[in-house]
Amino acid sequence: MIINEWVVYLLFAAVLFFLGLYCLLTMRNLIKLFIGIEVIGKGVSLVLLSTGWARQSIFLAQSLVVTYIVIEVSLVATALAVIINLYRVNQTLDIRSLTRLKG
Amino acid sequence: MTFQIILLAALVLASAAAILAKDLLKSAVALAVASLFLGIIFFRMGAPYAGVFEISVVAGLITVLFMLTIALTKQGGDVRESKTVKVVFPLFFAVFLLIDFFVMRGILAQVPALEGAAEAGTFGDVLWKERSFDLIGQLAVILAGVFAVLALFRKRNHHDH
Repeated sequence: MIINEWVVYLLFAAVLFFLGLYCLLTMRNLIKLFIGIEVIGKGVSLVLLSTGWARQSIFLAQSLVVTYIVIEVSLVATALAVIINLYRVNQTLDIRSLTRLKG
Repeated sequence: MTFQIILLAALVLASAAAILAKDLLKSAVALAVASLFLGIIFFRMGAPYAGVFEISVVAGLITVLFMLTIALTKQGGDVRESKTVKVVFPLFFAVFLLIDFFVMRGILAQVPALEGAAEAGTFGDVLWKERSFDLIGQLAVILAGVFAVLALFRKRNHHDH
């Protein structure tokens, strides 16, 4: 019974992952791309916690999710700082303007 | 379980709104709403600490950071997205939902049972005794983030060009 519910969680987490991946593949705005990464992260933490819940080891899963959230905050702060600096250099948020990095 | 499915559907809808919304501020708010739903799901799964972190940190702090960035980059923020993105989205989404449904049903057939005895102790025991090394990693990551932001925003000296 609990596995049935676990599969439902996995299904929805996969949908979140798809949404984020679609955003990463198609969008052009840097901030939008980062929102896509955030959505993927939500899917991943949902998988972590629901698997821990189904295995009845919710505390372990919970500590992993808390660790992930702390890392996520650090990641967001750094990435947004990078985005602001890129905006100052390029005066645009378009990902296609970053082709100057091409070798 | 029905209520949980409603919450999951709301989470997916809010995430889709965050990705498909044209206005960046609206996407940031939709992302915060999605975090709120995820936090409620965590609460109902019996993970109050993860829920509290999700709602306070992700829905609060990260949204503020996003809004700050959007405000700072306002003038060049209008990037013209390709129009086919939204047109093609429902098609891809329907195909993905079909694949997703069948793959997950396949997983249901393959996983006999998720074994695992019930945990002893409390969340604090597990976090501080079993995963104490994670805490060192978290501290290191926070420190690295602080230094990264400091390095990215440092003032340019007159001497170097």
